[in-house]
This record gives sequence, C-alpha cells and structure tokens, in this order.
Amino acid sequence: MSKAWIETNTFHHSMFSDIGELVKAKEARGLSISLCLPTLNEEKTIAKEIVILKSELMSRYPLLDEIVVVDSGSTDKTLDIAETYGADTYIADKIFPWLEKCKGKGENLWKALYVTRGDIIVYLDADIKNIHPRFVYALVGPLLLNDTIKFSKAFYDRPIALDESKTLPSGGGRVTELVIRPLFSLFFPELAQILQPLSGEYAGYREVFEKISFPIGYGIETSMILDIYKMLGLYSMAQVDLDRRVHRNQSTRALGRMAFIIMKTFFDRIEKLGRITLAKELFDEMIQFVMVNNEYIPDVYRMELVERPPICEIDEYRKKFPPTDSS
Amino acid sequence: MAIQGNQISSFTETIKSMRDIIITNIVLTGQIPAPTFEEEQKAAMLLERFSIAGVDHCTTDGIGNPIGIIRGNDRQKPPIFVVAHLDTVSDKDVDHNYMVKKNTIVGPGVLDNSVGIGVLASLPDLFRGLGLSFDSDIVLAGVVRSIGKGNLEGIKFLLDHWKGPIRGAVCLEGHKLGRLSYGSEGLRRCEVECTVYPGPSLKHRYPPNAIIVLNEVINQILQMRFPLRPMTRVMIGIISGGLKHGNAARSARLGFEIQSDSPGMVKDVSDRISDILEGMAHEYRVNLKLKIISEQLPARLEFTHPLVKAALNCIKALRLEPVVIPSESELSAFLAKDIPAVTLGITYGEESSPPGLSKIRIDTMFRGIAQIVGVIKAIDSGVCDEQGVD
Repeated sequence: MSKAWIETNTFHHSMFSDIGELVKAKEARGLSISLCLPTLNEEKTIAKEIVILKSELMSRYPLLDEIVVVDSGSTDKTLDIAETYGADTYIADKIFPWLEKCKGKGENLWKALYVTRGDIIVYLDADIKNIHPRFVYALVGPLLLNDTIKFSKAFYDRPIALDESKTLPSGGGRVTELVIRPLFSLFFPELAQILQPLSGEYAGYREVFEKISFPIGYGIETSMILDIYKMLGLYSMAQVDLDRRVHRNQSTRALGRMAFIIMKTFFDRIEKLGRITLAKELFDEMIQFVMVNNEYIPDVYRMELVERPPICEIDEYRKKFPPTDSS
Repeated sequence: MAIQGNQISSFTETIKSMRDIIITNIVLTGQIPAPTFEEEQKAAMLLERFSIAGVDHCTTDGIGNPIGIIRGNDRQKPPIFVVAHLDTVSDKDVDHNYMVKKNTIVGPGVLDNSVGIGVLASLPDLFRGLGLSFDSDIVLAGVVRSIGKGNLEGIKFLLDHWKGPIRGAVCLEGHKLGRLSYGSEGLRRCEVECTVYPGPSLKHRYPPNAIIVLNEVINQILQMRFPLRPMTRVMIGIISGGLKHGNAARSARLGFEIQSDSPGMVKDVSDRISDILEGMAHEYRVNLKLKIISEQLPARLEFTHPLVKAALNCIKALRLEPVVIPSESELSAFLAKDIPAVTLGITYGEESSPPGLSKIRIDTMFRGIAQIVGVIKAIDSGVCDEQGVD
C-alpha cells in the first residue's frame, strides 16, 4: 500500500483558514462555487447552516456564490425556514419532472448539479449541529490551491497524531469500520487511506461530478469514491480534517439498512470493474427482525440499487452546461 | 456629537439588515459550553470572532477575559468599555445545540448570556455597517468568572489591572428589551451547610435530620423583621440535601442572598443570621457552617445623571417602555470604581428548565442593539465626562 497519498493529500482545516487567500485564488482562476444542502425534514439545523455560511462565506468573504437547498419532500418547515434565511430552494421532484420520481440523498445531489451554477460544488449534510465556516472553506481549499486535486472529502476527530501538524482519527463511524473499510481493504487497499469514506461532506469540480452516475440513496458516497478513483486516480482526491462534527445518532437497525445498500453499491461497482463475477444477482430485500408479543417478526425493507446516469448525458443539462474542451 | 432620537430609530433597519452576522455570532459562541471557571474555549471563539471582524487589537488578560479594542480617533479620550459575561449556568455535559427558527433561537444559555456575547462580537461589524467611528477606544470584553461562585472575578480583575481612566461603560444582558439598570444593591451571597455528626455518635440517640434543621433555619430567617427603608430582604434561592427517600438526611445545603440598599444593613442581617445558626447548631448538636460566596457594595448613578438620561432617551426613541431594575452583575464593579455605567437588556425571551429550551426572540433584538449603539455614542459624545458616581 502506498503511504504517500495519506501524507501528501491529507490536510487540516487550519491550513485553509486564510479565507481571503482562497477568494483570491478563486477569482484568479475565474471560478464560481455553489453550496448544496440536500434536505429531508431538517428544520432543527437548516437555518443555522445557512445563516452562518452565508454570513461568513458570502457576505464577509465572497467565497460562495450561492447556497442551494434541494429537498426530498420535507413535511416540516425546512423549506420555509431555508427561504427565510436566503437560500435558493428546490423540490427534487420538480427538477426534471418527466423523470421517474425517486427519493434519496443521491437524487438530490444529482439534481443539484442542474440547478446550481458553480464550477465547484460543495455538498454538506444539513444536520450538522456544530456547523462552522471551516466545513466549506477547508473542503474547497485543496481544490483552489492545488491543480491536481479535483475532489475533497471531510473526516473528523483526531485522537492519533500523524506528525506535528497532522492528526488522524481512530476511525470513522460504525458502518465505515464494519463494512466499507473491510471492503476497501479487500479490494482497493489504497482507498483504505480515506479515513471516513462515508462522510457526507465533500466538494469537487462540476466537470468531475457531471461524468459519474449517482445512486439515489446511501450508496452515493461509496460509488463517488470508486468512480472518481477509476476516472482520475487516487491523487485527484484529498481528505481534510474538520476536527469534530456533531450530528444525529442513528440506531443500529438504521445503520444496518445503510450498510445493505452500501454493500450493494460496492458489489455493483467492483463487478463493473471486473474484480468479481456474481453468479447470481443480489437480492433487493434487507431482512431484520423485531420482537412482537414474544415472537420474532421479520421486518423487510426493499432497497433496489437505482442510479441516475452521468448528468452530462441529459439533454437539458447539456443545454445549460455545454461540454467544454476540458470536459 | 450626540445622536438624535430619529437617528437611533434609523439604526434599527441597518442592524436588521445585518441579522445573519448577529445570529452567526450568537450561535458560534453560544454553542460552546462555558460554565463558570471553564470559559477558555468560548473565550478563544470570541477572540476569533473579534479577529475575523477586523478588531484592531485582540488579547486575553491575566485571568482569561477575551478583549478586543477598536481604536478611537482621539488618543486623549479615555476608553469606553462594553462588557458581557461569558459564563453560563449550564454544565459542560449539557448538549449546547442551538436551534435557529424563523423568529427565535433556542438553546442552553442563549438568553443569559449568549445573546449578550453574540452582540458584543457583532459590534465591530455593526459599527462599520452603521458608518460610525468613535473618539474613544472601544474596549469590548467578554468577562469570565462572573456568575455564582465566580463572584465577578473577571470584571474585577480587568478593572483592577486597567491602567488609566475609563470614560464610561455599557454592560450587555440578554433579558430583557427596555431594561435599564444604573444601580446595584448591596449584596451578600451565602451558603449554609448543615452536617450531622457522622458515625454512631454518643451525641445523638436519634440523629437529627439536616433538612429539618435547615427548614428551622429558614423559619427563623422568615421571622426576622427588615426595614422598608433602606430596602432590605433575604432571598432564599437554593436548598438541597439528603441521599435516599427513606433515610434522614445527614447533610443539606441552603443558599440565600441578603440584599439591601445599605451596606450596614447587609452586615447587620448577616450577623443576625450567624447568631441564629450558632444557636441552632448548639440546640440540635449539628455542624452549621456559614460561607460567604460573594459580596458587593451598593452603588448607583443618580436618575439625573446624563448617562441615565441618555439611555432613557435611546430607549424611548425606540418606543420602548423602560424597565428600571437594580443589577447584581458587572455594573456593580464599574460603579464601585466610580465609573459611570449602565446595564441594558437586548431582547425578549424565556429561561427554561431544562436549560436546552431557553429562547430569545430575533425580531426584537435589533432595537435592543440600536439602543446599545446609541448609548455608546452618547458616552463618546461626553455624557459621562462631568458627573461621577454618587
């Protein structure tokens, strides 16, 4: 396993805290940056994410050019609050309305590519309790200051010191450590250097995102890494230590369902890469059990792997964002 | 030059247009827990906010107060202080997650006093947005070790170590809009600890119950007669004790404050309570220990003081009803050093138990901030330059 990547492409957010310099770099390269927040019932956290990032990274420093919320159909006040605090809001189903309706984070991220206008897109989960401007500037920093990096991903916590200036976390979340890291280690040991491959905060160039397909649900983070790895190689990616992220804790059962779809996505990708051959198609149902009246009852969730194609294959998208020489 | 009433009203709209900066500062500083004596992280965040706002000089003093200084135009004029206490009553293990809604912010300590700190952090940007500059340096300080056992140590340290005169001061408190404090009562904050002699003591065939003993102490305090002038009272605020429902309490604790307009009365009442405790300790054969947690002397500005008048004018210009109440906070430290000062409330809100549900209103805080700016400008125009504290 190459050790060089983790040393050269791992950063700490403090390395990008001179936001004025980032703005200069952005302007010198004639780039624009969009922030996308995918939402589903996030009224408790959405306002402060918008307010803080707009105040610090649009009003104080013109690093961001727009903040866009793409919603999966919230039944609470998420969209109302987001509009109040000045975000551009979209309902996912109303973007490309002629397509079959799908619900999921990946769907929102994919459709955001059409409604945003930035050359760089920053995706942040909308449930970050301890939101801070570093969540954005630290992700765009490597993209703006390094020509070879096209995609950057967040990681958090820092109990293990790598050297005097860098620290590493002891691990990601439960699904990362029990599912994705073993799979990466088995098939792509290089990718095991990505400390939290499932983190929901990342940024990248439009020209990269528009060429990869997006699973509509939880598999999006896994597929994105594998597809960018295949398309541009490991050194096109970076990871940034954001110190600490506080968000909702999920039950083990919910994480089990997340693991199911992530594994499905992973097997789909490695089969396409020719690394394995499945003798039979994988099943689409996750079976869990609950105890009702002293009896174990199966609780079955159907989760198909549905993907949107690379958005550059959609005519409307190509009209709005015509292919360029570089793309 | 003093600010006119209609100018203060016009401030409100500009301040409202800077809503995002103010909310950002309230959330970024308020989400960091800062129980008294553990304010370092929050102090660092406030300094970061001062620095990002381009404050000329940012520093921390010897006790840990984060301080930002905006340089004035006239080096001859003494500085104006604007302070807010940094510590909150919530413990570190409380989830300090703030929820911003359409017109409220909800979270631990937001009313007392994250909104004060957030506004303090926003003042440099607000002054710039309003196009204001000052002759005096403006010293912005988030003061540590203020509440409870902190006993105003942070502000006392800051004032004790400040070299040179101070022109005047404004203290920021979250609650409530229209509040004007220009005097502080004499105060002695005390704790009585009752412990029953431990072990199989020969002293007690039937050991007394510490809670019952303190109950008797309360009864005797309630029987004391206090004058209306100078106003004097004992406020019983905290009682705790015991371990199990079925066991007599071996220890219990009572917290109270003696409040009076007269320092002599504070001491007199304190002495009388000490006598009560001595007698009861003897009668019940228990330990009754009186501990003074904090103390302050009464001090006030006259109602006719130009600073008070200027503050009232600002409040009235914003069509607010002034609510005059005494203050126990930083104000007393300024007044004790003959520095003219007032405490102003910023907005409406509610404290709650559990503390996670404390809240402030957003729409009303813009007028609260406008009055603060108006009073700072009034001090800069000289309302504190002639008359001292009585």
